[in-house]
Amino acid sequence: MFKRVLIANRGEIALRVQRTCRELGIETVAVYSEPDRNALHVRLADQAVCIGPGPSTESYLVIEKIVDAARSTGADAIHPGYGFLSENPRFVDACEAAGITFIGPPASAMRALGDKVSARKLMETAGVPVVPGANDISADDFETARREAERIGFPLLVKAAAGGGGRGIRVVEQIDDLEGAMRASGAEAASSFGDATIFLERFVTEARHIEVQMMADQHGNVRAYGERECSVQRRHQKLVEEAPSVAVSPELRQRLCDAAVAAAKSCGYANAGTVEFLLDKSGEFYFLEVNARLQVEHPVTELVYNVDLVKQQLEVASGQVLPPLEGPLEPNGWAIECRINGENPYMNFMPSLGLVERVEAPLGPGTRFDSMLFDGLDVPVFYDSMLGKLIVWAEDRELAIKRLRRALHDLLIAGVDTNVPFHLALIDNDDFLAGRIHTNWLENSFTMPALPEEDPRGLTALIAAALASGMVASAAPAASGAPSASRWLRAGRANVMQQRVAAGGGRGWRRGTGSS
Amino acid sequence: MATRHRLLLDGAEHTVVVDEAGDQVSVTVGDGEALAVDVTTSGVPGTFSLVIGGRPVQAYVTRRGQGFEVTVDGRRFLVGPATGGGRQRGAMGAKDRMGEVTAPLAGVVVDVHVAAGDRITAGQTLLVIEAMKMQNEIQAAHDGVVKAVHCEKGGRVEQGALVLEYEADGIEADS
Repeated sequence: MFKRVLIANRGEIALRVQRTCRELGIETVAVYSEPDRNALHVRLADQAVCIGPGPSTESYLVIEKIVDAARSTGADAIHPGYGFLSENPRFVDACEAAGITFIGPPASAMRALGDKVSARKLMETAGVPVVPGANDISADDFETARREAERIGFPLLVKAAAGGGGRGIRVVEQIDDLEGAMRASGAEAASSFGDATIFLERFVTEARHIEVQMMADQHGNVRAYGERECSVQRRHQKLVEEAPSVAVSPELRQRLCDAAVAAAKSCGYANAGTVEFLLDKSGEFYFLEVNARLQVEHPVTELVYNVDLVKQQLEVASGQVLPPLEGPLEPNGWAIECRINGENPYMNFMPSLGLVERVEAPLGPGTRFDSMLFDGLDVPVFYDSMLGKLIVWAEDRELAIKRLRRALHDLLIAGVDTNVPFHLALIDNDDFLAGRIHTNWLENSFTMPALPEEDPRGLTALIAAALASGMVASAAPAASGAPSASRWLRAGRANVMQQRVAAGGGRGWRRGTGSS
Repeated sequence: MATRHRLLLDGAEHTVVVDEAGDQVSVTVGDGEALAVDVTTSGVPGTFSLVIGGRPVQAYVTRRGQGFEVTVDGRRFLVGPATGGGRQRGAMGAKDRMGEVTAPLAGVVVDVHVAAGDRITAGQTLLVIEAMKMQNEIQAAHDGVVKAVHCEKGGRVEQGALVLEYEADGIEADS
């Protein structure tokens, strides 16, 4: 096992990986950009290295800086987390050249899978079903594209061969829109990934996004940990994930797992990976892509299979053999994850960021909150808007949803807007409750309910504000000889009172009827 | 001793009377009945635990500009003083004053499409602010002519910062 692991990431995933390392007695090295100096993953690490300014292109995405940090701190392995360099084969090569173990798949498997076109071909050979489509089209070859499009049929998707995270994808409803979509997709792909190659794929409508977690060791053993349902998406970004899926029977689960294992074996995969499938209305599934890393939504699998996936990643990366499979792998209970994003669901999900003044994480049975938040965190503007993940486990789906509702109400994040009201509305929706969802369901069929006009919370807010302003005013010195100073200037002295209370050994401020 | 507070919530003015007599606190909101409130808190910013007529509720209160931000069960309220001039600039979805454009959110300016002297039309994109990998187009609310641009490409802006001034057509500048 490794002695010291550098975690080449930030936010909740850096903490997640760090926690397992610390439990296993492995020392951790954190890397951080300047605005992340105060982040929890920095504070809790054994060593920390600053790798540059805020923009990730100058810090978390710079291979040389990460490898140098690993070398100078004597790390013997690097865990990439998700995003950033996690699926960059050049990073894997650089680690290898420096004699540092990369905790993830080999570069060769990454290259084979990272290009969506070569991945499709691999899967076809391995007998894994793929969506009907056309590979390897240059973004300006409209003639070939038009011919292939007629064969595939509409609607279809134009995708960037090197794409990911929903970028470079366009839906084309009719032939006239094909050229525009190719130009847009090609340009986006060229700027995001430096490669304008595209491919066409039939748009399987009303399909579910079902993915299988797999884990492979370096000795050819591959194990699949059932499926996750990730159909609740907006702009191709997942918002809620669950395990298992209401749409998957034990028989289908077995076929999905077999396909995932075949996909892993087709390219000499090792370590954790996710094989994504589309599951159509008739129950047919098609290979979508392999995410060659640990995923955001891995905790739901951990909870229903009682496994620490990060621990297994460390074990297989250090050469250990995966424990053998015993019988059909059925999930235990039900787990659901909500991504808690800093955005306002009442204002078209506009990003909301700034100072998080107060956080109270939900606790209690079956409740897990993986988050980078703490009181006083100033959320940096350079990274994505995910603040944390609320994950619950219960015996069945109905109980898990009830637990989720309770936990969402228990979560307090003051200072920024979050999508918690969206999650609460979602889990009250009849279609969601019945599991009648597909990847376009949220955008096509779900409407965020408006804020209630008569909201009793408003009354509470008014009362609290009135009491607060009274308190703030009374904190000003009584003999204030400055009548011209406004109350609100004097309010600046409120903190003085707080300190006075603390210095006096009091436990706070209390007035009321309770004690009389 | 009773204190009257005139507060602004969601654009509506409310009068809240807090009556403290010894240990008893009673609060009256608008024309409503007086509510016996038991309150305990560590201060501002801080959590206010209120027991109103036997029902406990919690509010997290922090100062925001001249008012307070109060978070109650997942909803954030801005409660400001209802004295004139209490307009919120740009921030929190409030409308900009005529002739001014403020940043609706903090971020990095990734594009500035106009310069001083340019003619602009309502709905036209003036600049783009990127935050959390999302690009937010800031559009003109009125027709007019740009007087000054107060931000530059690549620069960082705070929420509510004045980023652009313009002379709106047919309307005297708000002075």
